[in-house]
Amino acid sequence: MSTYVPLFLLFIVAAVLAGALFTISTVLGPKNPTPEKMIPYECGSETTGGRFVKPSVKFYLTAILFVVFDIEAVLIYPWTVEFKNLGWIGLATMGSFILMLVVALLYVWKKGALEWEK
Amino acid sequence: MNSGLFLGLSPLLVVSLGGLLLMVAEAFSKRRVDETSDDRDAGPSSELSLGTAVTLLAGAVFAAAIWFVGPEKLEGASSVAPWVIVDRFTLFFSFVLCLGGALAALLAGGYLPEHRLDRGEFYPLIIFSTVGAMILASAGDLLSLFLGLETMSLGVYAMVGFRRASLRSTEAAVKYFLLGSFAAALLLYGGALLYGATGHTDLAGIREAIANMQPGKGSNFALVITAAVLIIVGLAFKVSAVPFHMWTPDAYEGAPTPTTTYMAVAVKCAAFATMLRVLIGAFGEGGLESWAAGWPPVVALLAVLTMTVANLVAGQQESVKRMLAYSSIAHAGYVLVGVVATMRAGGDAQGSVMFYLLTYTVSTVGAFGALILMGSRGAEAVSYEDLAGVGKRHPAAGFAFSLFLLSLAGVPPTAGFFGKLYIVKASIGAGLYPLAIILLLNSVISAYYYLRVMVYMYMREPAPGAPIAKPMRSGYVATALVVAGVLVLVLGLWPTTSLQIAVEAALATR
Amino acid sequence: MSPLDLVFQYWPAIGAGILGALVPRGDASTKQRAGLGLIAALTTLFVIWLWPTEGGAQAAQAAEAAGEWPHLLNLLIALPIVGAAAVLFIPRQMLSVLRGFTYLVLGIGFVASLWLLTVPMTAGWHFQYIKDWMPSLGIRYHVAIDGISLWLVLLTTFVTPIAAYASFGSIKTRIKEFCFALLLLQGGMIGAFLALDLFLFYVFWELMLVPMFMMIGVWGGADRVKAAIKFFLYTMAGSVLMLAAIIYLVWTHQKLTGDFTFDYLALSRVVLSKNAQIICFWAFSLAFFIKVPMWPVHTWLPDAHVQAPTGGSVILAAVMLKLGTYAYMRFSMGLFPGPASNLSANLAGVAILGGILYGALVAWKQRDVKRLVAYSSVAHLGFVMLGLFSATPTGMQGAVLQMVNHGVSTGALFLLVGVIYDRRHTREVDEFGGLAKVMPIYAVVFLIVTFASVGVPGTNGFVGEFLVIMGTFLSERLGKFAGIHTVGAAAGVILAAVYMLYVVQKMFFGPLTNPKNKHLPDLTVRESLALAPLVLMIFVIGFFPSIFLDRMKESILLQHNQYKVVSGQAILFADERDAKLLPEDTFSPAFLKGMPKKEKPAEPPAGAEGSQAALGGEGKVAQ
Repeated sequence: MSTYVPLFLLFIVAAVLAGALFTISTVLGPKNPTPEKMIPYECGSETTGGRFVKPSVKFYLTAILFVVFDIEAVLIYPWTVEFKNLGWIGLATMGSFILMLVVALLYVWKKGALEWEK
Repeated sequence: MNSGLFLGLSPLLVVSLGGLLLMVAEAFSKRRVDETSDDRDAGPSSELSLGTAVTLLAGAVFAAAIWFVGPEKLEGASSVAPWVIVDRFTLFFSFVLCLGGALAALLAGGYLPEHRLDRGEFYPLIIFSTVGAMILASAGDLLSLFLGLETMSLGVYAMVGFRRASLRSTEAAVKYFLLGSFAAALLLYGGALLYGATGHTDLAGIREAIANMQPGKGSNFALVITAAVLIIVGLAFKVSAVPFHMWTPDAYEGAPTPTTTYMAVAVKCAAFATMLRVLIGAFGEGGLESWAAGWPPVVALLAVLTMTVANLVAGQQESVKRMLAYSSIAHAGYVLVGVVATMRAGGDAQGSVMFYLLTYTVSTVGAFGALILMGSRGAEAVSYEDLAGVGKRHPAAGFAFSLFLLSLAGVPPTAGFFGKLYIVKASIGAGLYPLAIILLLNSVISAYYYLRVMVYMYMREPAPGAPIAKPMRSGYVATALVVAGVLVLVLGLWPTTSLQIAVEAALATR
Repeated sequence: MSPLDLVFQYWPAIGAGILGALVPRGDASTKQRAGLGLIAALTTLFVIWLWPTEGGAQAAQAAEAAGEWPHLLNLLIALPIVGAAAVLFIPRQMLSVLRGFTYLVLGIGFVASLWLLTVPMTAGWHFQYIKDWMPSLGIRYHVAIDGISLWLVLLTTFVTPIAAYASFGSIKTRIKEFCFALLLLQGGMIGAFLALDLFLFYVFWELMLVPMFMMIGVWGGADRVKAAIKFFLYTMAGSVLMLAAIIYLVWTHQKLTGDFTFDYLALSRVVLSKNAQIICFWAFSLAFFIKVPMWPVHTWLPDAHVQAPTGGSVILAAVMLKLGTYAYMRFSMGLFPGPASNLSANLAGVAILGGILYGALVAWKQRDVKRLVAYSSVAHLGFVMLGLFSATPTGMQGAVLQMVNHGVSTGALFLLVGVIYDRRHTREVDEFGGLAKVMPIYAVVFLIVTFASVGVPGTNGFVGEFLVIMGTFLSERLGKFAGIHTVGAAAGVILAAVYMLYVVQKMFFGPLTNPKNKHLPDLTVRESLALAPLVLMIFVIGFFPSIFLDRMKESILLQHNQYKVVSGQAILFADERDAKLLPEDTFSPAFLKGMPKKEKPAEPPAGAEGSQAALGGEGKVAQ
């Protein structure tokens, strides 16, 4: 357990520091609110609508598809580096992995998930 | 490359490949129905259901084939261990899971078109969940275990919420998803602590490290125990043991009935497989397996609570589906008794647990299947009142339902009776007399609510003007019921062989 | 043999046949006359056939070697069960085929069971049939019969067809399901009487529950569902505890010998540790006491009886209750003789106070005739249990005979109650009065059966109760209380007379006040034919009890002797910690015949002779 002591210390220091900074700035900082200062910062344009905007579900779909293919890329990088050592087995493994993704892509395509307007 | 490895993994591979093919085929298929159509045969179910069942049964057949070849003879199959262990234990559960999945797929083939839910996504979901369940049953490492668990669960979350238009179904899915993720997080946390304490993620390594651990000052024993508690709680969520069962009735009731069947059967079996692997494989030594300082009393308490509470509550339900949900919780309690008994009675007790899961699978599939059969479009059979007089109007369906209920109640000579008998035998053999007695008394309580269904079917007439359930006509459901019914009787009259197989499978993990 | 010789040899039967045909009143149909005549003739033939003769004993001895067809018991068990399965394939519209088929199966069963009587019931097992069922667990299909189960099997095969015949008169709906339930029930009951493997016994024991549950629940009275569920849960609660005890016993045996076996004979050798013995005894006995039923677990019985249809009540009373008493005698006394004998004085007290006296007093206060008969069953079975607790050969003989008696006379009483219920749809005593004037035959039959139930000399009830009371008085087990017990039991007989005669007096005599009763028809052909065999059996047992007692004597002596010896040993051997195995020579070889052996196959003639010799010796000791 003793090996964890520095870690705990770090946590404590971080917490104390963060808390202290916030407290000090709230206590010491000058407060001079005006209506302009209280509105959310939107790069100078007028604020419109409520706080909760429902994004279209299609964004989620796109995002999740992006994650899937992004991870594909992340996995392919180390493989290319070790390509020679892994040899045929590596090639076959990566081949089947990409094949699976191709199947998934086909499925997604046929199901119409790639079309924005339908 | 070696063929032994591929043969060893063939059940997994066959099911996965079949799933991929079916998925693509479904995407390219022209069979689409708008959900207002009245044509029950136009949708994708008519092809996919059979395809799914065949794929899963092929997985079961491959598992059986490897069993006869002998998994220990397959060279190279151990090269994927401990992530995927190919032993008789894995094969047994692969078989049971594939069987349960296939029967659930057949039920879906009748249910989904009947209730205007006919969308093809259901079938790949079943298949990939089963793949996850099979990985879960074969995992000998906490990492692959978690992978399998999530693969299985994600599919099931989607299947629970499959009735998108229904609020109850969505509610069920959200509940199940939240609590399921919570359980997975606990499990993961336990795994992380275990890794911290022992430096291993593979179960055998953990076991060894725990065995070598000196209890006392400066050891990580406290960490191990915390981890064990977290893992047991996580698994208890998955097998829906009281007091971690709160999600179960809502999820089971809100889900479409084939999903409920699948959850009650495959998910539960896979969770128990993991429980056996972890409790015996990782926590089987170093005092953790003892009554004085280990998991047995915890699991025993869970078992007693699960059986008693579930049975008492089940008797008060007004919905048959909800009653069956509670009954499935109660059965988890009976299995937990067997799990406790493994600490002393060893392979025999574990074999009895596994045999019980097999009998439970066929009886539960049958009971839910019969409930599905009782309802048709617009008149799904849910409550007791719906079933009034069914025995007279549709004797075959009533007879089938009665058979499965009697099996669940444990009346000889059905499969369920032998399941209970072996568990009781194992727990008496382990000297756990109070548990055995509580189990038996609980089975008396359970007889009450199973009988109530029979009472409504045979001894009540529907109130005049009350809606009555009209049985559907579906070859798929009928086939599933016949298969399950034959298995219930065969396992009830000649249980020895399958018990021996289960014991042999159990010995593989010891 | 010329026809004339036949006439001479069988003149009593022919005479009885003619007499029987003349009994009905002038306007009776030929069918009724023929039926009654036939029943009378057959009953007489039965008596002649069983009458012990000089040469008969030797002839029978010779017949024994050849005459035991090993599959007879399998036939008796399998026939109704297979028949029940076959019924499922008969279309439900073909009522006459369904009924005919049921009669056929039950009839064949009855005739086949008569074959059991051709073999003299020497001590030990007969018609034994053993086959491995689940060898890895030591579960075998082991059936055999002895002088005790013989009469109960015969009672079953005798009463069930009558119940079926009577039921088809009153049950009009769902005949197919009724036939199915009836046949399955029959198979389960016979199987339970014959099974010598505890596991097999348990399977049959549970198998009976479902058809009886359906019978009460589907064809029963207004409050049938509650009664049916009560019946099921009571019985199941008892039997699961028994299951736990069975498994414990098997497990102990396995620890002692290394073999798994559920065999009754092998398990008899196990002496459990002191506390385990008592707990297991109670686990078994509770299951049986519930079935009997003994006070205070009798409360399901009146409900079940009142709600059950007539046929169901008859079977329930005549046969199923006997399973409790029989199983107590066979299994509780056989497996746990130590606690059984230690507790017998107390249990006898319960049987007298809770069964005989309380049952009788409660019966007296009943206004519903069927409920009254149900409570009288509690009282009668108190006698049976008393006979068993007394554990004297006389008492046990009386108990077995009383089981048969109760089956016959209470079965008849339920049929009679069914008759009046079919006519008036009420069973309240106060609704009736003066029935003897409108239904004279009914009144006479009712009176006869009442006499039997009360135990008037000349009827069967007298013999049974007399033997039981005598056995109680002579009993050593009951110690110094034997006398008090005897007085209590005798008081029960008087009370029985009080409540039964009270109801007869209220219903049949006095003024015919209720106008609804003025034009009730007398017994129909069907009803009289169903009652005739039962009434005749009342007198057959009453006048010729030795026919029955002779055939059960040796088995009872064997059982009693063994009970005495083994209970002594068990009490001596039992200690706080360990279970022990009694040596094989504690038991009579005749008893252990068919016990599972490790390597040796069954011994050929040498063993059989030895067992005969040992038997003779023991028989003398017991005398």
